[in-house]
Amino acid sequence: MNNIDFKINFKRIGLYAGLTSMLLFPVACQDSFLDTDPQGKQAGDVFWVNESDATKAVNAMYANLRSFDNIAFGSVAVESLGSDETEKGSSASDATFLNTYDNFSVGSTDGQLGAFWSAQYKNINYANQVLDNIPAIEMTAALKERYLAEAKFIRAYSYFRLVRAFGDVPLRLKVPADNSEYNIPRTPKAEVYTVIEKDLTEAAAVLPASYGTADLGRVTKGAALSLHAKVSMYEKKWQQVYDLTTQVIASGQYKLVANYEQLFRIANENSSESVFEIQNELVLDNADASNSQYSQVQGVRGVVGGGWGFNVPTQALADAYETGDPRRDATIIFRGETTPEGDFIPTVGDNPMYNQKSYVPFSLFVSGFNEGAQQNVRVIRYADVLLMNAEAANELGKTTEALASLEIVRARARGTSTTILPKVTTTEQVALRTAIWHERQVELAMEFDRYFDVIRQGRGAAVFGPKGWTAGKNEVWPVPQTEIDLSGGVLTQNAGY
Amino acid sequence: MKANVRSLYLLIIFACMTTLSFAQGINITGKVTSATDGTALPGASVLIKGTTTGVPTDLEGNFAISVPSTESILVVSMIGMTPQEIPVGSNSVINIVLQDDARALNEVVIVGYGTQKKLDITGSVVSIKGSEISKQSSINPVSGLQGKVAGVQINNSGKPGEAPQIRIRGVGTAYGSPNPLYVVDGVWFDDISFLNSNDIESMNILKDASSQSIYGVRAANGVVLITTKKGRSGKAVIDYNGYVGVQKVTNQIKMANGNEYSTMINELSAINGGKQLLDPSQYGEGTDWYKQILRDAFITNHQISVSGGSDKATYGLSLGYLKQDGIVDRNNFKRYTARFQNDFQISKNLKVGYTATGAFSKSNDEAGGIFRQLYAAAPVVPVYNADGSYGDPSKLLLGDAVNFNPQVTVDVFNQVTKKTLLTANAYAELSFLKNFTFRTSLGGRYGQDETRTYNPVYAATLAQRNTNSLLTFVRPQARYWIFENTLTYTKEIGKHSFTALLGQSAQHDQSYQLTATARDVPYTSEGDLYLALGNADSRNVTDEGDLATYSSYFGRVNYSFSDRYLINASLRADGSSKFYQGGNGWGYFPSVGAGWVISNEPFLQNQKVFDNLKLRGSWGKIGNASVPSNLSTLTVATGGSLAAIFGGAVNTGASINSIIPPVTYWERGVGTDIGLEASMLKNRLSVELDYYTKKTERAIFDIPVLASIGTSSGSILGNQADFQNKGFEAAISWRDEIGKDLSYSIGINGSVNTNKVLTVSTGANPIYAGGVGLTGGALATRTRVGDPIGSFYGYVVDGIFQNQAEIDGSAQKTAKPGDFKYRDISGSNGTPDGTITGLDRQVIGNPNPKYTYGINTTWNYKWLDLTLDFQGVAKVDIYNANLGWRYGNENFTKDFYDNRWHGEGTSNTYPSANIGGGSNYLPNSFFVQSGSYFRVRNAQLGFTLPTKVTERLKLKKLRVYANAQNALNFFKYKGLSPEVRATDNKPTTAGIDANVYPLSATYNFGLNITF
Repeated sequence: MNNIDFKINFKRIGLYAGLTSMLLFPVACQDSFLDTDPQGKQAGDVFWVNESDATKAVNAMYANLRSFDNIAFGSVAVESLGSDETEKGSSASDATFLNTYDNFSVGSTDGQLGAFWSAQYKNINYANQVLDNIPAIEMTAALKERYLAEAKFIRAYSYFRLVRAFGDVPLRLKVPADNSEYNIPRTPKAEVYTVIEKDLTEAAAVLPASYGTADLGRVTKGAALSLHAKVSMYEKKWQQVYDLTTQVIASGQYKLVANYEQLFRIANENSSESVFEIQNELVLDNADASNSQYSQVQGVRGVVGGGWGFNVPTQALADAYETGDPRRDATIIFRGETTPEGDFIPTVGDNPMYNQKSYVPFSLFVSGFNEGAQQNVRVIRYADVLLMNAEAANELGKTTEALASLEIVRARARGTSTTILPKVTTTEQVALRTAIWHERQVELAMEFDRYFDVIRQGRGAAVFGPKGWTAGKNEVWPVPQTEIDLSGGVLTQNAGY
Repeated sequence: MKANVRSLYLLIIFACMTTLSFAQGINITGKVTSATDGTALPGASVLIKGTTTGVPTDLEGNFAISVPSTESILVVSMIGMTPQEIPVGSNSVINIVLQDDARALNEVVIVGYGTQKKLDITGSVVSIKGSEISKQSSINPVSGLQGKVAGVQINNSGKPGEAPQIRIRGVGTAYGSPNPLYVVDGVWFDDISFLNSNDIESMNILKDASSQSIYGVRAANGVVLITTKKGRSGKAVIDYNGYVGVQKVTNQIKMANGNEYSTMINELSAINGGKQLLDPSQYGEGTDWYKQILRDAFITNHQISVSGGSDKATYGLSLGYLKQDGIVDRNNFKRYTARFQNDFQISKNLKVGYTATGAFSKSNDEAGGIFRQLYAAAPVVPVYNADGSYGDPSKLLLGDAVNFNPQVTVDVFNQVTKKTLLTANAYAELSFLKNFTFRTSLGGRYGQDETRTYNPVYAATLAQRNTNSLLTFVRPQARYWIFENTLTYTKEIGKHSFTALLGQSAQHDQSYQLTATARDVPYTSEGDLYLALGNADSRNVTDEGDLATYSSYFGRVNYSFSDRYLINASLRADGSSKFYQGGNGWGYFPSVGAGWVISNEPFLQNQKVFDNLKLRGSWGKIGNASVPSNLSTLTVATGGSLAAIFGGAVNTGASINSIIPPVTYWERGVGTDIGLEASMLKNRLSVELDYYTKKTERAIFDIPVLASIGTSSGSILGNQADFQNKGFEAAISWRDEIGKDLSYSIGINGSVNTNKVLTVSTGANPIYAGGVGLTGGALATRTRVGDPIGSFYGYVVDGIFQNQAEIDGSAQKTAKPGDFKYRDISGSNGTPDGTITGLDRQVIGNPNPKYTYGINTTWNYKWLDLTLDFQGVAKVDIYNANLGWRYGNENFTKDFYDNRWHGEGTSNTYPSANIGGGSNYLPNSFFVQSGSYFRVRNAQLGFTLPTKVTERLKLKKLRVYANAQNALNFFKYKGLSPEVRATDNKPTTAGIDANVYPLSATYNFGLNITF
């Protein structure tokens, strides 16, 4: 290469380099180069635009109800194990932290408190998202109203679970706008109850009595009225309990299912007796949508298609039934029995009894999925409504009505037999109250009702005392320590913890 | 792959052809020798002045170079020698004698976007030769840095193929990838697992903020500049490096045997009111699951490289093959690498070149969770029953926590991962107007990986079975380009020496991942594993992606006066899409440094002690972009778990389940460094001392938020804290010769680092984090102003309850004998209140290591060479979460069996078998143990064939060696390995050990041949 070549090359190359850099520098200069869109994620500011967004948000709210912490360990720990009807179960050394709920030694740092607490607030957040954002969406007016009513029900249901479990709780009625609204103190229990009642009243005014198949499982007017009745019962507002339950009964919307054992099988999901159920399904190739572990955690241990064997019936429950009550066998799976669906329960195993109400025949198990993922959770049944009606009527002195409602429940259990479960006839208020309470114990056994039911009856010390329950402390569980830590002391601990 | 092979082949042809076409001019040969002893100087550089064309001398000091004209001048230089310039004239043979350079400071160090003489550097930069890395048996080049550099802490994982964790001067950032930025020939990476150590020319670690600052956006965790080997003009040099070896598990933790296990789970059951589960007399040693599943694993690595060229063009190419068996049965890894490189001197002023690397790997993956299973598995379960069927834990009713037979897990697991990575960088460098150099470079990488998993139909035990098969393909793809332009101006006027740099950079980083599944795919051969053969209704596809862009401008000025006074200053402006939507798209990162070369002062000219003495100080700011893309954008959550079921059918759900992200600002690191460099006693002793502070301002990470906000994640990302690392580093080395035959070097490096939190976003409240799943839901660390970041936080254990009477008189009325006795420190009014509550917790340990050190020695005697490297960490705590992380009847360690409480008076330090129950699992001081360790990192003995023999064999060099890595480890920690890695890479969860990977040592024999 000689010098002449070099000069030519230099000029050409210099020019080229200059041009290249001039052309390419601006690529990076423009701010549009830095303005990238989120990849594969819809931006939040383009959500809440149309009816489809509203529908999806309402769906998400329902979906969260079946999360693990809502219906599995969190619920087992906080809503069931304290009762006399269940104990931890499973292998003695498995998940021993659950024992602390059974013997009331639980400390504020146990994880299930936080899990349950957090699950309820997630439900509330999904509901608040709907309530805050749907009003501004242009969509079918009637549907909008219904969606808002559905959200109010879910919010009320979650606050009810919180207030039963913890007493005073932080009350959030809208999505926090910024960090100034994150850390809020506990609102007194009574005020929370007022809000729950308001939500339920407004929901009942809008919700339809029933839905077509495509919407089966959404909350109904009957569900709102019945939950409202239950909330009122915890507040001892007997006239309100009576009025609300009477309204449900008079609606003619509900009827007890004849076969009590079959009532809890897949075929009888969303039956005529169903007032509110958490909807679960096993959808092949959608494991996330099939994520219920409600039946799995309580399923029979040590068999394929069974489960983990937690939250098992106690001997006290087995002994609580009147002689010959068929509900005993329908509620409890005894080791060594063959279920009506033909599953043999091996004679040797960890636990003598399991919950039959969450039981799903082993043949329905699909590997790769949770056992019993298809089982709905019966939250409120018509039988509960009838018993609430009976109790309220008795408290108000309407003995005849009380006896009538109670008898509907006993008659179904009795079936065609003439020798068992005689009609209750006492008109003495205290005796009848005791009878109704006992009926609640056996009718609603293993349905996560008993623990808080006994406490609201004021009999915590009498019934659970031998297990360590202490009045003045155990009416509520401790507020999760993690939450208190994070609040920097804005949240206070319950007395005695 | 076929297409790739073809393009690589074309590259080879291209490389060879260009070499031929540029060979021309006057041929000069000669020999370079040392003035001191007349010996040949191999590896000296012979360069044609004014060009970048040059050749190195060979092992006998000979060189051959083609120069363009008789006017050419040769510049002959070598580290430690005074360079010489020789006009060519009419000579065709030129022999050069080089004088020892007492100051030996012409060593050139790679810095950001350029090179600098070591003398001129005002920051803290350490250069490690590639040969120091490649002589070790570490697969990942980063791992080879362990113990070599003061202030650089490496945590190796025992998990095969997992990249080591590297921390430069303590915790730099709190979120995202904790890896430093690796710049390999100008292309940016955050992992260099693909790189063959033998291809590395040098690794330069930029340790202080002023050196890192020129890489602003990504420099927060430090910067490692890697140059790969390049061909040099001269005859073709062919190198072969290879070894075979074996990896063996070392310091294996001993678990309880069958008899001990059954004793303990009976105790556990009894404490919890259960019956006897197993009859210990029925069980002896039982199954040692580690022994059953782990093995001595074979490893072999071969690399061959060819390089050479003319004065107009050089080439280098290398091919590598690595096969590594995992220590887990059935796990193995194969990697093929190819690298091509060409440089062309197009004209006197223009040079262009490229480097292209291809890496392809295939692994039969390790069964997921297998190590945790080995730790937990019940030793009473046989691997196989007498009839050949698998041992089934469910027969023993031991519970779900141990309802697995690890052999089944390994046998059934079928997952193959293939990775393809192509990366290349092309540049053009133009010198003009005497003092200017313009360089433009375009680099990119394309990665296409695939993980194929097949879960077959099987029924091995009650719990380990599957009734419908599932085939899953996960295909991640990465596309990245970087375009950079720099203009450099260099000028010397008298005693003033001046360099200025201006540059621009743009980057585009995109990833995409496709996941597809199908059920009921038959499996009679690998050829069946197509989604198309699965059940049509069951086919499922989903995808995800990410995009980030960066735009940057930077400049730097270096000035030195009389080689005595040095000033360096730089500024980088970085724009990143990650912060753009938050309105904080741009960040500015300045730096400044000054140095004083005392030894060049006239008043030190007549002394003999110091060959070099330099004092330097610097300050700089650095940034961290290792945060999720579109950080400040609220996004919509969707997916199966948000789909509602109505009437038995799935209804798509979506909502917003995060809070509106707070405006997030650039995280800034601000660092200062004061250093002293000295070489003494004819360069035999060199000392480098550094004092540094590194403050991370507005550190971005997520902290737990109140659950009552109802967000799905439970944490929030934002600028949460300011924290600081302060420390001192020393590197001292001594090298000398004793007589003619023995030479040696000893290098000692150490650092002291302390970490302190300066502010937290939660104000007066500390940040609580850590643990959760591992600690039964409790938070195990606290980050509070004045404390080290992520300090372990929990109860203080004062002993073990021996009997009910002690319990009745204590603050824990519901405790059981054998439980931890917690200290009653505080109640709501600040004094002990007779109950144990959250208020009784306090700081119980510090996960940030205080001391890290390394001792590296080499010894050469005649034809023998010996390397001994030692390395360690001291004054660090580990939270041994494995002890309390129990769900049921998991196995215990032998240590726990031997020391546990099992009746009054049996122990006052270890609790009963109920360590995972009651209140025992809560974070407490028992779980905090010392993480200090010391190890013999490398021991290598080599033998080089005497030159006479090699010459006869027509070889240039032949060396054989034996090497042991990690053979001896000393530590008191009761876990598997004291090298603990945070499970989620956050400093607020650091040191919480749920690691279940044992340490392993590698023993290998190797061969280096140069043809």
